[in-house]
Amino acid sequence: MTKPIALQSEKLTKYFYDPVKMPVLRDITMEVHKGEFVSIVGKSGCGKSTLLYVLSTMDRDYEGTLTINGTKVTGLDVNELAKIRNSSIGFVFQFHYLLPDFSCLKNVMIPGLRLGKYSYKEVEDRAYQKLKMFGVEDQALKMASKLSGGQQQRVAIARALINDPAIIMGDEPTGNLDSKNTGIVFDLFQQLSREFGQTLITVTHDEDFARRSDRIIEMADGEIKDHGH
Amino acid sequence: MKLNVNSDIAFTYLWSRKKQTIIAAAGVMFGISMYIFMQSLMKGTNDYFEKNSFSNTAHIRIYNENKVADTHLLDSSFKDKSTKILVNPKQVQQSLGLTNPFGLIHSIWKDPQVAAVTPQVSATVLYTSGSVRLNGNMVGVNIVEEDKMFDVKGNMVKGDFRDLNRVNNGILIGKGIADKLSLHVGDNITVTAGATPRIMRVVGIFATTVVQVDNTKSYVNISQAQNLVGKDRSYVTDIKVNLHDYNNAPVKARELEKMTGYKAEDWVQANEQLKAAFKIRAVILNSVIGVILLVAGFGIYNILNMTIYEKIKEIAILKATGFSGGAVISIFLQQAIYIGLIGAVIGLILGFNLTLAVSKIYIGAGNLKYLPMSFYWPHYVQGVVFGIITTVAAGYFPAKKASKVDPVTIIRG
Repeated sequence: MTKPIALQSEKLTKYFYDPVKMPVLRDITMEVHKGEFVSIVGKSGCGKSTLLYVLSTMDRDYEGTLTINGTKVTGLDVNELAKIRNSSIGFVFQFHYLLPDFSCLKNVMIPGLRLGKYSYKEVEDRAYQKLKMFGVEDQALKMASKLSGGQQQRVAIARALINDPAIIMGDEPTGNLDSKNTGIVFDLFQQLSREFGQTLITVTHDEDFARRSDRIIEMADGEIKDHGH
Repeated sequence: MKLNVNSDIAFTYLWSRKKQTIIAAAGVMFGISMYIFMQSLMKGTNDYFEKNSFSNTAHIRIYNENKVADTHLLDSSFKDKSTKILVNPKQVQQSLGLTNPFGLIHSIWKDPQVAAVTPQVSATVLYTSGSVRLNGNMVGVNIVEEDKMFDVKGNMVKGDFRDLNRVNNGILIGKGIADKLSLHVGDNITVTAGATPRIMRVVGIFATTVVQVDNTKSYVNISQAQNLVGKDRSYVTDIKVNLHDYNNAPVKARELEKMTGYKAEDWVQANEQLKAAFKIRAVILNSVIGVILLVAGFGIYNILNMTIYEKIKEIAILKATGFSGGAVISIFLQQAIYIGLIGAVIGLILGFNLTLAVSKIYIGAGNLKYLPMSFYWPHYVQGVVFGIITTVAAGYFPAKKASKVDPVTIIRG
């Protein structure tokens, strides 16, 4: 492969301490190239979500090193990590986690306003574009709590994309969606990786979803069984 | 709508829970309005009593104090306490008059801090009308100067105090004396100081708030007083000094004591109980206000804590999407500050109106007509400052807690 590496981990090991010290991730060494659409699959409890949270920089309690876009993020302090997440990582959860007191548009705008790279007006325009991509621009001014589940998830994905992050991570992003909405989301993810060169890493139980992605990483007992190369 | 994103979120949270915001702000509002109201009442009362105490006490009073004969005259040369020249010292009756009083007055006037100096002759007298006799104190003064220093005019019930200068044997008597001896303006009164009784004419009746004063005190012209006690024109028992700033009185009194060699008593010494009362009131007031602000602070603390508990997932999301701990603190601290500001502004208005309303309550005791309330702007500034400090302190701990939220634990559940 000649594509540059977006994310690289070296010998990631993580333990759970409750009730007893137990390794959940063992010596995970992996790399994801720029523009790649990777699915991580495995049985419940194999550590795939834990891995994703470590890769997302939110979980700092691990051994080994993690490099994102050529920057070693291991050992950075929480505020520096927050900045990196804000600018380079978009996160989509199984549940939408929109802020119910704000309109959909505002929900999408908030990470953009936090970044402070664009003016308020520009952020607003960009948020509209993202909502349009997902076909929910007509819901923009409604309160987030007033939308249907599928619409909320699409707004949540739009929020993840507002700062044009290099890497988009999804923790079962389609777990709560019906097959129609799953299809929409998948197509959009594929479009993001193929047309915009954004890197996608998703954890999923959905075999169909995984099969259609570029590469499947299979995990079992905290180790990578198959890199899918 | 071009707010900083932290402020934007803070506002939205406040707006979406109006009831709680209002309740929290109401707590601050009550605290601040009470602060202002009670401070105004206290300052008004203190000012009133202070002013009142100056209505019969000069800032400094210089008089001749009987001294016990000095038994240790030789100590200074022998450098020990070995030799006593008197073994059984006694008080010696001296003339109560000051030596060279007008010379003293002249030199006191030279001090730029001095606002007024006036001589006085005081004497214990017997008032007689018909067969009734009363003990009392008579003071001989220059009534115009006395009025400048002590506002005699404000205390007059009947008659004109200036008649003291016009009527040769005029006298101003306290209301108590007038009532007991059944005297009116124009009546005669016999005043006995020393051996010779003298008939004076009542030209005015005054009432202070102190019954003791009203029952005993009378004013006459200083030359009449000198006459009554049988002394010459240079006989002066007291020199009363007022300063531009009465807070300097204790220091200035010590200076005057050194300069004149007589006892100089400042108003603080003369009114120890007044000072004590001021201090006690300040303690009572500050504890009440402290409790009110504490309660308001707990209200804010509680409400923010509940908000954080309810919004813990949202906080986790904010952190996941790149809000730093500092940004989260800013969001929640700003909520506290806005609550504080809203409460403070309404509290100021309420406090002012409360003060205004209470200042119209009629009391009618002595020369006190209405409740003494002061409208002193630093109280309003202090009120706002204390209100903001309380809310920030109350908001900081929940905000700090919110900033510590770990997105992984919350989102993964």
